[in-house]
Amino acid sequence: MLDIIMKRVFSANLFIFLITLLTATSTVAAGKVDNFEIEGLISAASPMALISELEKKLKVNVVEINLKNTESGWPVFAIEFDPDQLSREDIEKTIATIEDPAGHFYQVHKGPPINNAAFIDEELKAMEMFAPTAAEMEKVTNPIAPADESLARGKEIYEINCSTCHGMNGNGQGPASHGITTFPRQLWSWYNTDSSTDAYLYWFITNGRNEMPPWGLVLSDNERWDVINYVKTLKKPE
Amino acid sequence: MSSKVKPPRMRIGRRIKKDHVFKVKVRFEHPSFTGLGQAEPETNPAFNRAIPVSFIRNMLVYYGEDLVSRFNMTSAIADNPMFTFKLKAVKEAPVKVVFINNAGERWETSKDIKFSA
Repeated sequence: MLDIIMKRVFSANLFIFLITLLTATSTVAAGKVDNFEIEGLISAASPMALISELEKKLKVNVVEINLKNTESGWPVFAIEFDPDQLSREDIEKTIATIEDPAGHFYQVHKGPPINNAAFIDEELKAMEMFAPTAAEMEKVTNPIAPADESLARGKEIYEINCSTCHGMNGNGQGPASHGITTFPRQLWSWYNTDSSTDAYLYWFITNGRNEMPPWGLVLSDNERWDVINYVKTLKKPE
Repeated sequence: MSSKVKPPRMRIGRRIKKDHVFKVKVRFEHPSFTGLGQAEPETNPAFNRAIPVSFIRNMLVYYGEDLVSRFNMTSAIADNPMFTFKLKAVKEAPVKVVFINNAGERWETSKDIKFSA
């Protein structure tokens, strides 16, 4: 009698175990893992608050968190979800509705930071009236040929003064770039450009913009031209 | 720290005489974040870009049709700032103040200037 009961209990347990295994396998098989760069993590409690709230609101599973050492500098969450039930946009919208313990709303980071939003026409007109702009830059020509000597001098000046923000290879991600509010410019777009860009580069290096200081106060004319010659040799690594 | 934006409000003196200088006060409830914060204060005290950057970028002052002043600001601006400046009452016309934040969003407020007897 006892044997029969034990056998029935065992077979029932086995049945439940198999059903559970099948369900779990099918969930994992349907899951898709996508990375989300999160803005709004400002405290130690913040990631856990976001995860618990997100998992409560949607049927998702946060499988990995990378708070630092990410390529973009933003914390990255790897989130597993069922693509038949949810889209990436649904998750982004839900994240934007979650408030962190300090009272800010989270946001999924997309593209460049919003403080680089273009000036609106009204601002541009005002700038024309009250402040010097790139439109007023002098039409200057580079007096120094991009010879080896100039490039060597430019490289030295660049590595001392510019690389902390713009990076050694000009990728705009130097060690100091995380401490300022405007992303430093990536410089590869100037690679091998002709003399038509000289006046523009000279104007910006001389006068500065946003957090970039006016290097006209620090570097001599010739030093700035050496830097311009060197910047035009910075190429995106293959 | 308020994270909500409310429309700007302007106050000017009641008695304004022609060619006299009058004071304009403008208050704008707008948050100001540098975007920097500590993601892990206990293990990594370094500041990183942790929250969205938000600050008032420009304030433009119009007297009638003329643009009379421009305030160019950075993320160092306070939360909910109050601006005070003086204008010379040269004409009966509205004073308009326009705010533009770092996302390019725009708000404005205006008051008519009428000379008292």
